[in-house]
Amino acid sequence: MPQYRNWPVRLVLLAAAVSAAGAAMAVLGDSPTHSQSSISTDSAANPQLIKRGAYLARAADCMACHTREGASKEYAGGRPIESPFGTIYATNITPAPKAGIGEYREQDFAAALRQGIRADGSYLYPAMPYPSYASLSDDDIKALYAYFMEGVPPVTEPAPETSLSFPFNQRWAIRFWNWLFVDDVSNTSSANHSSDLSGDRQQQLARGRYLVQGAGHCGSCHTPRGLFMQEKALNDQDGDNYLAGTELNEWQVPSLRGGDSTGLRDWSEDDVIDYLATGRNRHAATGGEMTSVIQHSTSHLTDADLSSIAAYLTTLGATDKQRVSPAPVSTPPSHTAPDATTRQLTSATSLDEGARLYLDNCNACHFANGRGADSVFPPLSGNTQVNADNPTALISTILYGAQLPSTPKRPERLQMPGFDWRLSNEEAASLASFVRQSWSNDASRVTPEQVAEVRQAHGPGKPAQQGRPDSLDHAREDAASTPPSN
Amino acid sequence: MSLDSEGQKRREFMRNSLTVIPAVTLAPSLLFSQSSDAATPPLHQYVPAFFNEEEWEFILSATDRLIPEDEHGAGALTANVPVFIDKELSGDYGQASDWYMQGPFHPNADPVFGYQLPHTPAALYRLGIQGARHHAKQQTGQEFTDLSSEQKDALLTDLENGRADFKAAGIPDLPSATFFAFLLQNTREGYLSDPMYGGNRNMVGWKMLGFTGARASFREWVTQHDVPYPLGPVSLAGKRG
Ligand code: HEC
Ligand code: HEC
Ligand code: HEC
Repeated sequence: MPQYRNWPVRLVLLAAAVSAAGAAMAVLGDSPTHSQSSISTDSAANPQLIKRGAYLARAADCMACHTREGASKEYAGGRPIESPFGTIYATNITPAPKAGIGEYREQDFAAALRQGIRADGSYLYPAMPYPSYASLSDDDIKALYAYFMEGVPPVTEPAPETSLSFPFNQRWAIRFWNWLFVDDVSNTSSANHSSDLSGDRQQQLARGRYLVQGAGHCGSCHTPRGLFMQEKALNDQDGDNYLAGTELNEWQVPSLRGGDSTGLRDWSEDDVIDYLATGRNRHAATGGEMTSVIQHSTSHLTDADLSSIAAYLTTLGATDKQRVSPAPVSTPPSHTAPDATTRQLTSATSLDEGARLYLDNCNACHFANGRGADSVFPPLSGNTQVNADNPTALISTILYGAQLPSTPKRPERLQMPGFDWRLSNEEAASLASFVRQSWSNDASRVTPEQVAEVRQAHGPGKPAQQGRPDSLDHAREDAASTPPSN
Repeated sequence: MSLDSEGQKRREFMRNSLTVIPAVTLAPSLLFSQSSDAATPPLHQYVPAFFNEEEWEFILSATDRLIPEDEHGAGALTANVPVFIDKELSGDYGQASDWYMQGPFHPNADPVFGYQLPHTPAALYRLGIQGARHHAKQQTGQEFTDLSSEQKDALLTDLENGRADFKAAGIPDLPSATFFAFLLQNTREGYLSDPMYGGNRNMVGWKMLGFTGARASFREWVTQHDVPYPLGPVSLAGKRG
């Protein structure tokens, strides 16, 4: 299964880490304790506090894991994450006393969020992103607690039990992992931004940094992980790996650092804001895991918070210059002479297989100049997904299409149809290669084997066949209606 | 990645932080070839599902006269029109499965009231072919299929004008003109509809017209004047003609 090519190695190491923890426990000694914090036990929750907690729950996207897809009851848990060792379930975090977290005191709640320690003292699997939530402030924890205790309706049905096989069921062993990889103390000190920035800007950057590193847990997807599944950097002081881009099951997760060759290099702060608010902008459209982040989390943030996030991300560049102002957009203005690909597609002559397939399948929406239409059809020229080292995401988009989230500012769920029923592996490979080497793009060719791998990983069970005529299954000739009887 | 499917892979990274999903071995998917439509079997290899042998011969013969092969382009037989008709009559259309087929039937009602016969298209073809062959025998003493082109055309014209007497063939409730209207309509459809329905083989109908098929994208041609459009048609399934 090429999709998970390097997994066996990692698993052996993870298992080793867990077993090694047994020995480590002997050294580390006693049972876990909650670390000190200024959290008080009395919480006279007022409506403002609950409201702020609800907002923070959006910013932290608690729903993504703790609400089962398609379920009507929020935060009732039960979202399954399958593994060969058993299924792990995100828990019910409604205030129901037994089924949920109704019996959690505020300090228990804080320990679960920031340290990954359950009220009964056992350790949570790091599927719960406590390494990021570790930097949540006491005030925000308080607001979240108020919301989950008083703003969320209790659901008395318990979520299914997680039971993994040995040694993965040894929750105590996670302590060792935490000890290695999780910052125990809230890391809220601000990064060293150039001191010539104004006070307002400093504050904005600090807010952005707090949201990205803490609640937003953007790093859990955008930061590469190490051998033990730990994020290689949990914040910007931890090194250049922070938000440097990686892959999730071979699907590219772009770098959010301004200085890299792909990622946000050409994005203005407004572009980032548009993307996080609506899933689309003049550079890209979301179609992968980011879709649900935008749908459930970032599209609900205030403009001020989105601006802060955007401002902060532009500081993660490689050079000092990029820290202050983002690089100018490199998309050529439309009055300049068309490039070779645009000319080839416009004349529709001397077409190779890939170019011909582009005209037959893609041109209607992404156009001969590969620039699409702002916020409707994403440009393919200069596109992050198109140029990613690993073509899996591109192949997957071509075969199975993509759909934008519905957001408060842009409710239309624009959709790209899938072409799996229309293209053979060879054809999809020629087409993907063409797209990756046309206009301003410069990425490696795609082979039919790579397409076959994506098809195989996708499986036949859930074809994304939007756009495929029903009649291909069995010709229904209702096109032929009654002729006039004269 | 489609977002619609229940159990969509949200939060893949959670799996990443844990373990691995076992590989599922799958049968290789069905592949379509886009490069050409030549895979469609020619007419003589086709085994009709609806028509019996004599009916099939009649349909071949009649459609060949309705759209003959000539200097303008391919004819109905090259386009596999009879295949199209056979397929549609053996499917939902043949059974009138989404038509209102309860009485009362008023064959003399104004055409705005729509189809007024009790026959499904499948039944109508059976009766119509029977009537047409009977008419040919009466007029010429021969099978329709054995006649010259001119004779066939004359007989088809009789059908079209309602001059063929189907009652004499024991068919009281089908005007020959109605049968002809169906035959002509379905022949045109078989010639011009997308090849996925069995006709318009290799998109010959579209090529004859200069229709480019399902590409549906000519934005950059709006400003190109007096330049012949260089590309042939493409079908809904993505094949090229
Ligand atoms: C990326 C997925 C994910 C996100 C996001 C997430 N959680 Fe969790 N959470 C989990 C999983 C999985 C568990 C169960 C882990 C285990 O069984 O060890 C869990 C466990 C918990 C627990 C312990 C519950 C118990 O039954 O004792 C609490 C409390 C909790 N989460 C609260 C939250 C809150 C509040 C947020 C948002 C601020 C949040 N989680 C966001 C995945 C997530
Ligand atoms: C009917 C219009 C339409 C057609 C035809 C179409 N696309 Fe798309 N495409 C879209 C839309 C809309 C999106 C945004 C959807 C999303 O990302 O959720 C999109 C997204 C994409 C993306 C992802 C861009 C990004 O920023 O991540 C790629 C790559 C892509 N299309 C390539 C192609 C290729 C190659 C073809 C030809 C096989 C094609 N598209 C055909 C409408 C179309
Ligand atoms: C669940 C995993 C996940 C999380 C959490 C996540 N992202 Fe993403 N992000 C992705 C993926 C995957 C993409 C690639 C686009 C797609 O597939 O939807 C992406 C794309 C992006 C892009 C577009 C980059 C480009 O060049 O096209 C931006 C900007 C972005 N994310 C910002 C963020 C921010 C800010 C956060 C935290 C608030 C965040 N992401 C959290 C997975 C995630």
